[in-house]
Amino acid sequence: MAAASIATSSLQVSCSTIAAESKLLPRRGFCLFAPGKSISLPPTLATSSLGSIIGMQRHPNLQISIYIDVKIHGSARKNFWVKNSATAAEISSSKQQNVPSFGPDDFVFDLAEKLEELDYVSALSATGKEALSHLREHSAETTLSLQWPTNKVEAYRFTDLRFLRNSNVEPVRQCPQDTGIELADFGIRSNADIHLVFADGVISSSSSNWKDGVFVGSIAALSDDHIEEFVIKKLGKSAEWINTDFFASLNGIGVRELGVVIVPEGVKMQSPLHIIYHSSEGGSKDGEKQSYALSCPRLLVLVGKEAEVTIIEEFVGEKGEFYWSNAVGEFFIEEHGRICHNYVQNQAREAVHIKQTCVAQKQCSSYELVEAAIGSKLNRHNIHIQQLGPDTSTKMSSFLLAGQRQLQDLHSRLILSHPRGFARQLHKCIVMHSSGHGVFDGNVKVNRYAQQTDAGQLSRSLLLAPRATVSVKPNLQIIADDVKCSHGAAISDLEEEQIFYFQARGIDPQTARSTLVFSFGAEILQQFKNKNLQQRAEKTVMEFLQSEGAIKTSIQEA
Amino acid sequence: MDAMVCLRAASAYSSPRLALKSPTATSILHASKRPAFLCIRNVAAIEIGQEMSSRNDSPKVLLKVEGLTAVVAGTDTEILRGMNLTIREGEVHAIMGKNGSGKSTFSKVLVGHPDYEVTGGTAVFKGEDLFEKEPEERSHAGLFMSFQSPVEVPGVSNMDFLRMSCNARRAAQGLPELGPLEFYGFLSPKLSALNMSPTFLDRNVNEGFSGGEKKRNEILQLAVLEADLAILDEIDSGLDVDALRDVANAVNGLRKSTNAVLMITHYQRLLDYIKPTFVHIMEKGQIVKTGDALLAKQLEAGGYEALSAGS
Repeated sequence: MAAASIATSSLQVSCSTIAAESKLLPRRGFCLFAPGKSISLPPTLATSSLGSIIGMQRHPNLQISIYIDVKIHGSARKNFWVKNSATAAEISSSKQQNVPSFGPDDFVFDLAEKLEELDYVSALSATGKEALSHLREHSAETTLSLQWPTNKVEAYRFTDLRFLRNSNVEPVRQCPQDTGIELADFGIRSNADIHLVFADGVISSSSSNWKDGVFVGSIAALSDDHIEEFVIKKLGKSAEWINTDFFASLNGIGVRELGVVIVPEGVKMQSPLHIIYHSSEGGSKDGEKQSYALSCPRLLVLVGKEAEVTIIEEFVGEKGEFYWSNAVGEFFIEEHGRICHNYVQNQAREAVHIKQTCVAQKQCSSYELVEAAIGSKLNRHNIHIQQLGPDTSTKMSSFLLAGQRQLQDLHSRLILSHPRGFARQLHKCIVMHSSGHGVFDGNVKVNRYAQQTDAGQLSRSLLLAPRATVSVKPNLQIIADDVKCSHGAAISDLEEEQIFYFQARGIDPQTARSTLVFSFGAEILQQFKNKNLQQRAEKTVMEFLQSEGAIKTSIQEA
Repeated sequence: MDAMVCLRAASAYSSPRLALKSPTATSILHASKRPAFLCIRNVAAIEIGQEMSSRNDSPKVLLKVEGLTAVVAGTDTEILRGMNLTIREGEVHAIMGKNGSGKSTFSKVLVGHPDYEVTGGTAVFKGEDLFEKEPEERSHAGLFMSFQSPVEVPGVSNMDFLRMSCNARRAAQGLPELGPLEFYGFLSPKLSALNMSPTFLDRNVNEGFSGGEKKRNEILQLAVLEADLAILDEIDSGLDVDALRDVANAVNGLRKSTNAVLMITHYQRLLDYIKPTFVHIMEKGQIVKTGDALLAKQLEAGGYEALSAGS
């Protein structure tokens, strides 16, 4: 480490639209922050950072795009130096989050106590209880050393969680056996379609547990041997990070049951595996303070060598209920394994949704995430992906839609530590109301031995209302010296060139705008492997856009 | 300009090809011999046009542009400085000129691109003032421009885009919309005429298309919209020989006695496939020379220098 130089490139943009401003920039085209000339650094630990904090006021019809592209290729070492006041804060952001508190946090203490009181599900065997109690104990220790994240912590700078802290949070105690949801609504027609349903954090139903050597179901249905072989070895061990994150730890204390997916070596599952998380119980409505019902579903996915699986995760809940779903999913992919992860968050509009996705990828494995976040009042998704071997491939595509009083937050961290890694990330966000907020922090860390890494990252945000806000920070930390990395961010209105193209073909501007707004998200939704899921997600997005007046109501789904 | 010069000038246009297309014009003018080189100002062509139309039932005027001036929107940079052009049904016009002479601007101004502002002159399309119309209304009226580098529209499939634009025009004409199946029936012969595979329709508009695919796609849109005047802005750029032939054949296949084509090109090669009735040379925002296909050949041989030396 001492002999390496770090090129950190980070771009932080906080942008909001404010009507009737003067023209700051040309109507179209990129505003380029050209990197400075390359300077070779002395062979000591040095950091440089590219980027700036930009506060902008703009007319909604103006288009402002900010793009930074860093390419480091070949043996020449290049570092970019740009004056940046926020360098230190940004680099240490991930550490700050875990600074131990100076004293017990009463609210956290109280919450942890309530969660600890929760019983395991009754069907759990002694070995199963042992596996979970180990996680609980460890999590309890961690949680008590951490404080409730505030906006003074870099990772939660734009994510205001004070309202949650000021409310009553009660864990869900009685879990319904029947969720009341129609599986057919989710494209599950029979028991042959492999599925798993969580009701308020506990598994309520599933298809038959074992099928063609693949296990899908509760830990309670696993034999002791399997628990010892798979669960105990892996649970809570996808990354060190999972044990230091506040909300992941909170989930660890509150875990009552574990959903397990085991795809053995060489098994290539043709049909997708569908996991539905349903929340029905809300916080009590009487009392001065708002109450939230907390559930902590947890999933463990193990994909063996050369095995392949498509996993659909869907989060839904009862409309009008105040609940907090604090989910954790851990994914282990062995050599040459492959996971296509399709994830839709369509929680009730009053709900709080916090999810941790932690992926450990071994040599030549592939992980592909397609994500759509549409619902909830506050959505926070932390993705943590770690490479454990060379030649891995990671793709992330996310679409976040923020309407009235909604916060859609995505924090991703990809750590590349081995040669020839491949990574692509596309983040798209639409904010369609002045009280909506989109947040994105995408970190890609290219460590010293991750030579010939090819990593690309792009964030595109669309602001459709005056004062709509996004805060995006795609950032790269590069220590290796032979890599190809790029990142960029564009925050804009729709491209006029696209609207004109529609007009030139006889389509009126309103229809053109509506089509383009919808297609902005559809670009991600099209990547869902399951057509039924894609159509449902498109319908939900379309209806939401229409209800917020972002697009014409007469636009029909394609 | 006296009548004699007019007559001589007109005879310059009367190539045998034109004679096939508009027998009425040749029967009067009797173009037995063609001057080796004759160039006239475009004003003369308009005068001839008026003269001819007053005498007989020559084809209807589709587009008439007079004294058109335009600037880059929001600036004083004048790009067009008095363009004059008349296009009749059944004709093929080619505009050539150096880079930056205003060819593409002219075509964009005609379709109403927001980057440019018209500061003077008129453009009448099928008897109606073009500049009074919004871009989509111009399209409904039958004006089409193929983009030099069409923009990518991720998330919108080509099929949906084509159907939307087709139905928008049909709605403007008071015709019922075509459903997906009907539309596919309407589309498939046009696809095969362009040697395009139906998988093309499932892809997003221009997303990841090669240069050739983008141009083919533009011509497919032209075929779908069945426009009366097609402005083809450098459809030959970036095309290989086979693709150029496909595109040119498709354009020729779409030609009727009631429609017209305005091509903008740098190269003679395209004109070998789509034979022009008139070739115009643009310079500094004006048409400075008008002639027949021969003009393009001279240009190919000697460059713009030779032409300006000859004038």
